[in-house]
Amino acid sequence: METSITRAIAWAPLRSGQRRYALTLLLLPALVLGHLSLGAELSPAQLWSLLSVSSSNSFAAMEFELTVLPRMVMAVLVGAATGLSGSVLQQLTQNRLVSPMTLGASSGAWLGLICATLWFPLFAVRHGEWAALGGALASVGLVLMVAGRDGIAGLPVILAGMALNLLLGALAMAILLLNNQQTRGLFVWGAGDLGQIDWQWVAWLWPKLLVGLLLVALAPRALTLMQLGSAGAQARGMTLWPVIVALFLVSIWLTSVSITAVGLIGFIGLITPNMARLFGARTSRDELVYSALLGVMLLLVTDGLALLINRWVPQLIPSGATVALIGAPVLIWLSRRQLSAEDQRALALPSGAQRMTRRSWWLVLLAAAGVLMISLCLNRGADGWTLGWPSPLIWSLRWPRVLTAATAGCGLAVAGMLLQRLLRNPLASPDILGLTAGASLAVMLALMLFGSSLFWIVAPFAALVGSLVVLGGLLVLGRRHQYSPAIMVLVGISLAALSNTLVQLGLANGSGDALALLGWLSGSTYRVTAIQATWLSGGVVVLIGLSLLFQRALTLMSIGDSVAMSRGLDVPVMRVTLLLLVSLLCALVTSLLGPVAFLGLLAPHMAAMLGARCVRVQLLLSALLGAVLMLLSDWIGRTLIFPLQIPVGLVASVVCGSYFVYLLVRQRLA
Amino acid sequence: MKCIGVVRMAGLAILLCCLATNARAQPRIAALSWEMVEHLLKLGITPVAVADAPDYRSWVVHPALPPGVPNAGTRTEPNLELLAQLRPELILITPLLEDIRDKLERIAPVVSYDDFTQDQDNLLMQRENFLALAQRVGRTPQAHQQLAAMDDSIARMRERLIQHFGAQLPDTTVIRFASPTVVYINGPNSMPQHAMQLLGLQPAYDAPVSRWGNIQTSVTVLGNIDDGAVLYIEPFAQGERLFATQLWQAMPFVRSRRFAGMRSTWTHGGVFCVEYLAAAITDALLTLPPRH
Repeated sequence: METSITRAIAWAPLRSGQRRYALTLLLLPALVLGHLSLGAELSPAQLWSLLSVSSSNSFAAMEFELTVLPRMVMAVLVGAATGLSGSVLQQLTQNRLVSPMTLGASSGAWLGLICATLWFPLFAVRHGEWAALGGALASVGLVLMVAGRDGIAGLPVILAGMALNLLLGALAMAILLLNNQQTRGLFVWGAGDLGQIDWQWVAWLWPKLLVGLLLVALAPRALTLMQLGSAGAQARGMTLWPVIVALFLVSIWLTSVSITAVGLIGFIGLITPNMARLFGARTSRDELVYSALLGVMLLLVTDGLALLINRWVPQLIPSGATVALIGAPVLIWLSRRQLSAEDQRALALPSGAQRMTRRSWWLVLLAAAGVLMISLCLNRGADGWTLGWPSPLIWSLRWPRVLTAATAGCGLAVAGMLLQRLLRNPLASPDILGLTAGASLAVMLALMLFGSSLFWIVAPFAALVGSLVVLGGLLVLGRRHQYSPAIMVLVGISLAALSNTLVQLGLANGSGDALALLGWLSGSTYRVTAIQATWLSGGVVVLIGLSLLFQRALTLMSIGDSVAMSRGLDVPVMRVTLLLLVSLLCALVTSLLGPVAFLGLLAPHMAAMLGARCVRVQLLLSALLGAVLMLLSDWIGRTLIFPLQIPVGLVASVVCGSYFVYLLVRQRLA
Repeated sequence: MKCIGVVRMAGLAILLCCLATNARAQPRIAALSWEMVEHLLKLGITPVAVADAPDYRSWVVHPALPPGVPNAGTRTEPNLELLAQLRPELILITPLLEDIRDKLERIAPVVSYDDFTQDQDNLLMQRENFLALAQRVGRTPQAHQQLAAMDDSIARMRERLIQHFGAQLPDTTVIRFASPTVVYINGPNSMPQHAMQLLGLQPAYDAPVSRWGNIQTSVTVLGNIDDGAVLYIEPFAQGERLFATQLWQAMPFVRSRRFAGMRSTWTHGGVFCVEYLAAAITDALLTLPPRH
């Protein structure tokens, strides 16, 4: 009796596991069949007749054999590889938010392939996977270095990955913008297309994924031991570093070859291990295998959806788009369930001076004046470089752009500084939290709904609605999770991925609208009119003035909610008010300029590093630094590839992003 | 001594006179869209600045843009400060730049000509644009002459096709490859289809109407073209990869050898791009065996 009970207890988890696998394996053929019948545009019965009369040499039969079947197999292979890769990474780092996407591997691989395609086209056609692998390894290496050993298990690695994704995305955008005619094919590929014309890619991919089987066979022991912590694992006689490095390499290899074969398909590696755990996968091997299975199912479903949409829409909808459409909401839902624990650790930046000396004030003011003079007086024209005050006509064309850039820089810097103080999170900024992504998402949706003719009228309203919706969502989610930075960053990641997908979708169609959209998305001041520039600067000045009124509240709240409350501050009301202020600033800037990354993050830090520690000084100094950075970016954008121009937002993102990553690395190496 | 001075003065006067007539003959016009560059060149006017000039030279090619013409920035964001320095007398735009019209008008008068749309006949629209531009610069007779020459030339191409294929010309579809799996099919109201119409060719694939005249779709869709010829616009770098596949070899038009490449030709140009397209289509079709 007793033994039977213990046996029952011992078997219970396995039984539930068996039931789970049995259900999954029952569902899988149904999904495969559904995918095939969607791909062949036939009902399952017709499909059966086509399969049974395999001798028929019709074009339909051949099409089925050479496009529909390999596409299905491709979905299975890529789904399994990304699921497995995500699971290995998550178990390795013991971090539920880690995936090839969040570690920056995907964007690194993409950038690597873009560069190879543009500069070494022959090499890219033959050995694209090595370019992808190189890019992925470089960016993951950078992320891991920035996060450091302690940061890998927590939020720091995700934040570093997010930052690198933003930076690499801006770089890729800049490259595409400068070479838009040659890179059209890359847009389709970048959006992740599973379409096949024969078995060649499948034949190319599957041997490279075999290493995954080895992973399932050998990795669980090491991964289980690692869950004991590094000390525990070493006590069991395991030398840790070679194993960790090998597992990392294998999982990034799986991602890189998948990306080379089908393009960017995000989210699956992030979601499936979480879902596997949710459905009850407990042991290491169980999670690996079940994540791979879920990856297969998820990709079959989302690709089936893409096929279904393609029946109704004449234009091609790539599979990567539908994956993101499903993946982003699922990710937010999962994180709501699983991320109650607060992780307040973040990345460390160099701390710098403790007080603002008179000398550093003079230096900053001198630099600001210098940049302003250069921006106004030193320019390239029809006859090369010219130094001198611009003519009235040129001045009338130039000042709205310069003013917009400068005040937008002020606005973003102050918004970032307010967010960092409010959320007590040194990495909070409009771009990391998804406010800018939300605004740009809304603008793109508006473009799709209303067409390009009304674009410049609709855009500001859409941007405001978008950033307000994101902020509202953040407030609701945030209250439930004590404003945990993790949830905010996740929302940012999901929204950024969604808006990225929509961009890819728009670009894949390659029309003229897409190019205009690309211009707006990269933060161009080109179309700003004098009236708009005046309104923007007026609005920014008023909002900054308002935020100066709240300096006492900000000082108290950046110490802690309890401190603020004990001093008689109505914390919830104050928080909502200030966040509203932030979203107004973001919407104002984004609607006119498009998304600008990193500036809101960097300017407050630079102010703090110069010694601006109290709220009022930090606020004013960040605003000044934000303006200087944007002026400089605007000038670079106007002169670097004259007569072509690089949008100021893109230059600012690349310049500030590189400096930010440099700061992180320097801090780590110090 | 005096004599030489007089001769010099006279020479200078003649030179100035020449410059003046030349200046009258050559109005300073900046073209911020490629259709207008085509139209200006066909009217014998060299623009003072062209948006995306290097891309025009490598993608549109005909009519050739003289090498000295400066680049005025991109077509979506032309460089305003450079334009201001070049002092044009007239700026030609499409509705794409309508929202910066007031900035451009500070530099010079602006004329906007219609762009490709879904609702109107794009060829007719470009023809009217061309005539309107000709009228504006006072070269209407030359414009009519050019249009008549184009009609003649296309009629001669049609005769060559009929000579080769007989009265029953093959149905034709013009495509461009984006990748080995994705293809753009030129449909109704696209310039290639207008060129086909002028040549008396029927479309081989029934594509839906769209703004730019082409749809992006999967390569397998081409398998639906049972009867008819398919021409692809070169270059297609990954051609070897696609053309070697079994699926491609099984396409009806490949099996019946009704597939050929046509030389690189711009598909969204002004009225004369139809002539270049018609020439490219004719030359490509003439490489196919005459059947029926």
